[in-house]
Amino acid sequence: MEPLELFKTLISADNEFTREWKRRKKPILGYASSYTPEEIIYAGGILPIRVFGSLEPSKLADVYLPVNVCSFAKSCFNRALKGEYSLLDAYVISNSCDNQTKIYDFWRHCVPVNKTYFINTPHSTTKRALKFFHNELERFKKWLVKNFEVEISAENLKNTIKVYNENRKLLKQIYELRKRNPPLVSGSEALEIVLSSMMIPKEEHNKLLRTLLDKIEKREDLPKGGVRLLVSGSVMDNSELLRLVESVRGCVVADDLCTGSRYFWNTVNENEEPTKAIAERYLHKIPCPFMSSSEGRFKHVMEMVKLFNVKGIIIFSLKFCDVHSFDAPILAEELRENEGMPVLCLEWEHSLSGIAQLRTRIEAFIEMLED
Amino acid sequence: MSERRLETLKGFYQNYVKPHYEAAHKAKDEGKLVAWVASTFPVEILLAMDIIPVWPENYASLCAAKKVSVPLCELAERKGFSKDLCSYARCVLGSLFGAEDLPEGGIPKPDFLVVSTCACDTHLKWFQAASRMFKKPLFLLDAPYNIESSDPKGLEDYYIQHYISQLENLIGLLEKQSGAKLDKNKLRETLKLSNKAGELWLEIQDYRKNIPAPMGAREAFSAVYFMLCIPGTEQAVNFYEKLCNELKQRVDEGVGVVENEKYRLIWDNLPLWFDLQIFRYLEDLGAVVVAETFSHIWAGSLDPSKPYESLARKYLTNMANCSIERRIELITEMIKDFRANGVILPTNWGCRMMSIGETLVKEKVQEMTEVSSLILDVDSTDWRSFDEYRVKTILETYLRTLNRLFG
Repeated sequence: MEPLELFKTLISADNEFTREWKRRKKPILGYASSYTPEEIIYAGGILPIRVFGSLEPSKLADVYLPVNVCSFAKSCFNRALKGEYSLLDAYVISNSCDNQTKIYDFWRHCVPVNKTYFINTPHSTTKRALKFFHNELERFKKWLVKNFEVEISAENLKNTIKVYNENRKLLKQIYELRKRNPPLVSGSEALEIVLSSMMIPKEEHNKLLRTLLDKIEKREDLPKGGVRLLVSGSVMDNSELLRLVESVRGCVVADDLCTGSRYFWNTVNENEEPTKAIAERYLHKIPCPFMSSSEGRFKHVMEMVKLFNVKGIIIFSLKFCDVHSFDAPILAEELRENEGMPVLCLEWEHSLSGIAQLRTRIEAFIEMLED
Repeated sequence: MSERRLETLKGFYQNYVKPHYEAAHKAKDEGKLVAWVASTFPVEILLAMDIIPVWPENYASLCAAKKVSVPLCELAERKGFSKDLCSYARCVLGSLFGAEDLPEGGIPKPDFLVVSTCACDTHLKWFQAASRMFKKPLFLLDAPYNIESSDPKGLEDYYIQHYISQLENLIGLLEKQSGAKLDKNKLRETLKLSNKAGELWLEIQDYRKNIPAPMGAREAFSAVYFMLCIPGTEQAVNFYEKLCNELKQRVDEGVGVVENEKYRLIWDNLPLWFDLQIFRYLEDLGAVVVAETFSHIWAGSLDPSKPYESLARKYLTNMANCSIERRIELITEMIKDFRANGVILPTNWGCRMMSIGETLVKEKVQEMTEVSSLILDVDSTDWRSFDEYRVKTILETYLRTLNRLFG
């Protein structure tokens, strides 16, 4: 299979690598937030994979959850109820989303997952917060060691950090290819690549990325060009929405997504005590909007606009994602007034209901930019 | 059925709430510091520093009671704030977009804003947006979520230390703002008053355990104002003493909210601020709300010799900052203590924290007490999707399913 197509097949908890991992009787841990310190988990020989939803209706979860809930978090819970996450030996969440935090109560009471853990992620980046987060990660490390009877040595952590940093650098190289016109990798392809990196061991992903980077220059079926766009938002766990944008002559060249650039943009300092360096990396990464200041994220968007020669921005607010919805009008105003950037703000449901309306509005926005 | 209103609560808004806004506006004009405060922030600190606290949440609820919250929400929505966001937040942000004839002249402008993450991330985001509009600083007191246990001892020591260290740092920042040091004696006095108000407030709740109950939810949701907003004041203590006396007298005379009390209900979360008459409707059917979770989470005993630590413990163990077990435990205890035979679990459209979890509460409470609960999908402040007829029908049907206390 061509490397580009391969990535898409890996965006599933059940893939060839996780099956192999399980066959070797090694534990798999599902996590809910991009603030989960994966390095600590992986250093203990445990595979961290991100819990995603599906496009199916959340019939089982609807029994427990009201309508006014993030449809992504609901879908994840629905899959767990259906037994689609039975391969997980543990489920870990962070204090980074009210929806997930409250639905976690249901995970603990209704899902037969063996172990659960809650990491308190600070909402600020002060020295105090860092000290607290460092303590919190040490505590998490102890929990892993005790519950999985594994060893997490400084040496293991350092090696893992190298592997993870390499993955981040390779992903950045993929993003670099999108600066060209037309880009060498489309927005939906890039998203699939990043998503797949959360589902398989990072060494394996690094291999796939290196192969791709070797071959990509000779690519013949180049993505279609179009109006160069940046998409901003929270979670996108499949590429359907970006494919929709691309189907109406949008060319997604950059993103500010929790499952996109925000996932890998920052690296861990390799010259510091590893757990502390990990705490620093996650706390100081391009912030998700639950943090005490969104300025870092807004700056990241502005920089990407320049670096990737972006002509328009679509802010996708997942319905009932409060923290993004509060930021959306503010970010839009800053982009319009300070950067003169055209912005389209859209609300969407994870299940993609109402997609026809979305298509109309996106197409109208792109037509406006083409003029 | 005639309703006998409590003397102490008569003219509550005119006598207590309105003067607070007037005084805050006046203080602002005189150059005193005014802070916007979100609930679950340890307001005792501000009171001890003579900083005037104003409560956007309280303001949203009063706008709802005055039936002006929806036009204000709409102003915020026109600026791009989603109609699925917290209606308190939309109402208050809307009031900043040039609305005229605001109740009480609007919320006085802040010199700074203080917020804690105890209750939700929405508090932080809403205050961030306001801080940006006012170009005034926002001070955050970041609260680790209490997942382990409702028992204060279940909190990790470094959780408490983190809270205390932030609080100390914050006090330093407030001192810079005000140019005056926090007077430790005054803080001790404020905590003592807060304790005293809390004890009286719990005594008030105790009177409601009597059959018939001497006070219902409509009055409780007014009276909680002091506990929530200005607990560490003489005014709070005086008011609660007066209310205590009146309730004691009612209990001694066997006087209840309704003449023929048939159902005793627990009310979770917030009321419908725009339709407090719904409690009257329930009372007309012989159903008295005898306890609210909201009334039971603000009193905490503070140790004046360890002010910061006890504030940390008070707020970190607040139900809003805990996993669902705390809510289930509280409601279960209340059913027993208040001899309740029904529970209303209203959700709140724009509030994840109040909306997610009620099915679990219903299930567990029924398992433990055999009392069935009613989940009511509503919003506290935005009445646009409120169907009075539907809600009344649901309530009446629910009451019929309950076991009658008095045959």
